[in-house]
Amino acid sequence: MNIGLQVAMLAVLAVAGYFLPALFGGSGAVYSAFVLIAIFAVMSYGLDLIVSDLGEVSLAHPVFFAAGAYATGIISVRLGLGPIATLVASIGVAMLLAGVVGLITLRLREFVFSLVTYAVSVVALTLAENWAFLGGSDGLTGIPLFKLDLGVASYRAVTDKDLWPVAYVMLLGVLWIVRAFRRSRLGKAAMTVHLNPRLATMSGIDPQRTRLMVFLVSAPITAAAGWLYAYQRAYISADVLSPYFLILMLTAVVIVGRGLLFAPLIGVALILAQEKFMSFGGYVDRIILGTALILTLSFLPGGLYEAVRALIARLGPAGAKQDTQIEEGATECR
Amino acid sequence: MNVGQQIINGLVLGHSFALVAIGWTVLLGVARLVNFAHGQMYMLGAFVTWAAIAEFGLPYALAIPFTMLVGIAVGFLMQRVMLQLTLKQDLVSIMIVTLGFGHVLHGVAALVFGSTGQILDTPFSTRNVYWNDLWFTWQDVAIVVVTILVFVALKLVLDRTRLGRLARMVAEDPQLALLAGIDVRKVYFGVFAFQGAAVALAGAMIGPRTPILTSMGFDEVIMTFVVVVLGGIGSVWGSYIAGISLGLFTAFFGALVSPAYTTPAAFLVLIAVLVLRPGGLAAKPGGGH
Repeated sequence: MNIGLQVAMLAVLAVAGYFLPALFGGSGAVYSAFVLIAIFAVMSYGLDLIVSDLGEVSLAHPVFFAAGAYATGIISVRLGLGPIATLVASIGVAMLLAGVVGLITLRLREFVFSLVTYAVSVVALTLAENWAFLGGSDGLTGIPLFKLDLGVASYRAVTDKDLWPVAYVMLLGVLWIVRAFRRSRLGKAAMTVHLNPRLATMSGIDPQRTRLMVFLVSAPITAAAGWLYAYQRAYISADVLSPYFLILMLTAVVIVGRGLLFAPLIGVALILAQEKFMSFGGYVDRIILGTALILTLSFLPGGLYEAVRALIARLGPAGAKQDTQIEEGATECR
Repeated sequence: MNVGQQIINGLVLGHSFALVAIGWTVLLGVARLVNFAHGQMYMLGAFVTWAAIAEFGLPYALAIPFTMLVGIAVGFLMQRVMLQLTLKQDLVSIMIVTLGFGHVLHGVAALVFGSTGQILDTPFSTRNVYWNDLWFTWQDVAIVVVTILVFVALKLVLDRTRLGRLARMVAEDPQLALLAGIDVRKVYFGVFAFQGAAVALAGAMIGPRTPILTSMGFDEVIMTFVVVVLGGIGSVWGSYIAGISLGLFTAFFGALVSPAYTTPAAFLVLIAVLVLRPGGLAAKPGGGH
């Protein structure tokens, strides 16, 4: 497909996407679900760059999400500043933390990297629960409404319906950033370090520098999600560091297929659709989410995307030929 | 501060850390695998023991083997699901899958046992020992004794028996072990079963020391990381010594500085160790064989 056509299609898709909540009835609950889908998708895209591109599992990403949420909470409540200032602060704090975590873990790979990043999350949870500056176990209440004042015009979001345009623009922006990242020199370097570290070194790519840079791109994306989440909930506590967000991000990143631009968005949409409209209660939902994560990775290494493609191929005219392939896949699972 | 009391606290805590970590040490040492559901398996061990005593009326002495059987079953099930990933040594996927298992175990435990905390009372935990101005319970004594027994038994099995030789051979070189006609799958299953049993035992022994909550697995596992990394990955004696050291450190840090921040403090120790000797830890297991 040529570039012009691709861009035109993406533009049509982008405009159409904006009207999706209205298409689903436009009720308050629908708008809330869509705003959360956009926020959690943005959160997951930050992790996606680490898992899909860099090939490492960062378990510290809930900390960046919380950093955005807490920075927004503290600055809007205690200093009374607006969304632009809080966004800048969220990104700044996240980059600072990412720099520290990135430097500590610079030489760690695979499971030691994951252990340390997991420990970062647990330590952050302990700090958030105990440190009075962050509101302690009560959290931060009374986060003001999202109110953008641009001199000539101002935008005030009272309900989730009002927040939807903001969430949607943020989502589009992040999709654009992820797409641009994957085409950038840094994105290609990350992929090379991931797939062929030796080739990377021979091509003059510094793996440690690349990892640190990818961390610095990834953390602010997740923090931006925390920024809007603080406004959406109007209240932030240590909950934002609970394992739920970590499992949500990881599942969203792997369930549809790693490295596909729209995969985390679709993943988050599937998970939230289940939790918001087909919920069986918190504990059962937890079991469903965890099981989805386990089964995808254990039995569908290519994610749902590959599985659906195989299914379509099987139902299509070339079905007979594909049958054997699926049988083989099934045997492998047994 | 009563120094003697803190030493006792530290030693009991240290043996607890070592007992919780031992399954992980073997899992990492032999199979080069990590299990992020370890903390939730510990939580499950404590709750199954509680249910066996409080709901089914089993005596503590029978509740422990029952709990260990449940632990083995969970370990076996996990390994069954992840078998392909294990054989492929797909560490990234395995880590995420074990996180998923932890999430599921937490959900199942909350569904079955409720989300409120419970107190796990045993015949030992309610009996106190006072010695001059020092205080501990018979449960604390039992923890120390059981931990030492488990470590000695494990060391003997690994060093002296055919089973131990097989496990060490698989750890050294799985491909070569396969060529030598060893059923690597069985060894992996055995290691997971041991890990499940050991951490369930830890839950049954250590659970009585504090109120138990279904949410406790998430941070419980941190101390295990520190013990395993500090002790040298896969080293049995290293884990024991690291456990004791971390226990004493935690007890004194809690008494002198703040009990709320012992986890961050332990984490700083971990970071310090990783920064001081990063290469040796990162390079050896996992990737390079």
